[in-house]
Formats: sequence, structure tokens, C-alpha cells
Amino acid sequence: VTGPRNENKVRAALEKVWLNSRPEAISRLAVLESFIEKLRSGRVDDQCLDVARSAAHRLAGSLGMFGLDEGSSCAGNIEALLCQDSAPDIVLIEDLVHQLHNLLEATPAPMKTQQNRDL
Amino acid sequence: MPRTLLVIDDDRDIRLVAQTSLELVGGFHVIVADSGHRGLAFANEVRPDAILLDLMMPDLDGRKTLDELKRMPKTASIPVIMLTAKVQAHQLDLMCHGAAGVLVKPFDPMQLPNQVCEILGWGPSKNDEEQSDRAAE
Repeated sequence: VTGPRNENKVRAALEKVWLNSRPEAISRLAVLESFIEKLRSGRVDDQCLDVARSAAHRLAGSLGMFGLDEGSSCAGNIEALLCQDSAPDIVLIEDLVHQLHNLLEATPAPMKTQQNRDL
Repeated sequence: MPRTLLVIDDDRDIRLVAQTSLELVGGFHVIVADSGHRGLAFANEVRPDAILLDLMMPDLDGRKTLDELKRMPKTASIPVIMLTAKVQAHQLDLMCHGAAGVLVKPFDPMQLPNQVCEILGWGPSKNDEEQSDRAAE
């Protein structure tokens, strides 16, 4: 088990990383929001779908490291929907992106890791 | 002398968090590379004790990088742990390609060093205060 001094050091370092990473997460969210606009207007092509998939993939892989497990899971579900062979379900994706938006907006400060939460 | 780990991932956040976690919690010496090509060069030059390699990267992806690492005599014996968000579909295949194990993203930074040690059979990570103080300097 990591000692309290280390715990604080790690937490401080992760807070710094998150403060720098949050704008990137917001811009990835913006990619998904723009994808929904294109989906609504029927302007989705393969390249646009790839960019949205990649944004969802990166959010799914990174948010959980900062304790945003729900955001990670949300992004993972979006990615899964975008990877399906059939046309993406706009209502479902829109709902998930909206959830993600609210989660990120409510998280200006770094979240706690699982272990921190358990302390 | 702490063990050296090479983290290869094109995502800056993943690199930063993995490095922070492996150094401060695990007491490892960590070097990072932002692409498969750079990772291959560092692996050849530094010959780390183990490599954490992202699966999905543009250009030279994790699978091709792994194949290349296993093909080159200087790096063939270095254990490689794959980092992926899609474990179910890839795990068996990656193990066939010679990966030592697979870690699913997102990882918990407080748990990552122990997960690495567990996969590599290294025993618990050295997370005592003195070791981590040295790593942080």
C-alpha cells in the first residue's frame, strides 16, 4: 500500500495532469457534438466517423484514470455504437454525448482515483 | 537501481499518468515514446526491463510494433505488456504474438505498478517512500 506521503504526491501530480488534460477532453467532446450535428443533417462520411470513433476511444481510455469512471463508460458505449456495422442510433448517441457533456462540465477539478475514494 | 520501463502510447494523457504512477507509486525509472517508431528506437537503445505498449496508434500500431520488437534480436526477450481498451477481442491474439500480458485502459494509477509486477512475476512494486522520493527528483 502506498504511504500517505506518496498518496498526496501522486494525487498532486495527477491533479496537475488533469488540469492540463481537461481542455483536450473538452475538445474531444466537441468532436462528438459536431458529429451529432452532421449525423442529424445526414452529412456523415467515413472520415468523419473515424474521427468521432477516435475521440470516443481516447475519452474512454483516459477519463477513468482521473476517477471519471462514468465518463469513461459513457465514451466506451459511444465508441461501441460507432463501431457497429449498422447506421449509428442518433437518439442513443445524443443521449450519451449529453451525459458526457454534463459529467465533464461538473468536473472542473480532478476526480479521485478508486483508491483515494476508498480511503 | 530501479527497473526501467518504456511506455509507448500516442496519447499524451496516458503517457503522463502512466509515468507518474509507475515512478511515484512503483519506484520505476520510466521513459516514454509517443509512437511505435520512436518506441522501437528507444527499446533498441535503452533495452528496458519491460515495455508497456498501446495497441491502437496511428502509423505503426501496437501489433506491428510488437512484431518488430519480437523480431529484433536486441529486443526480442524484453517482456511487452499491451495496453488496450478492447481486451476481449484482442487478448488471445496478442498473447499469440508474444505479449506477456494485456492491461485494460483506463487503468487506476494507484494500481498500475502492481498490475505490471503481477503480469511480469516481479513481486510487489517498490513503493516505499525513499524509492519514490528518488524517482520524483
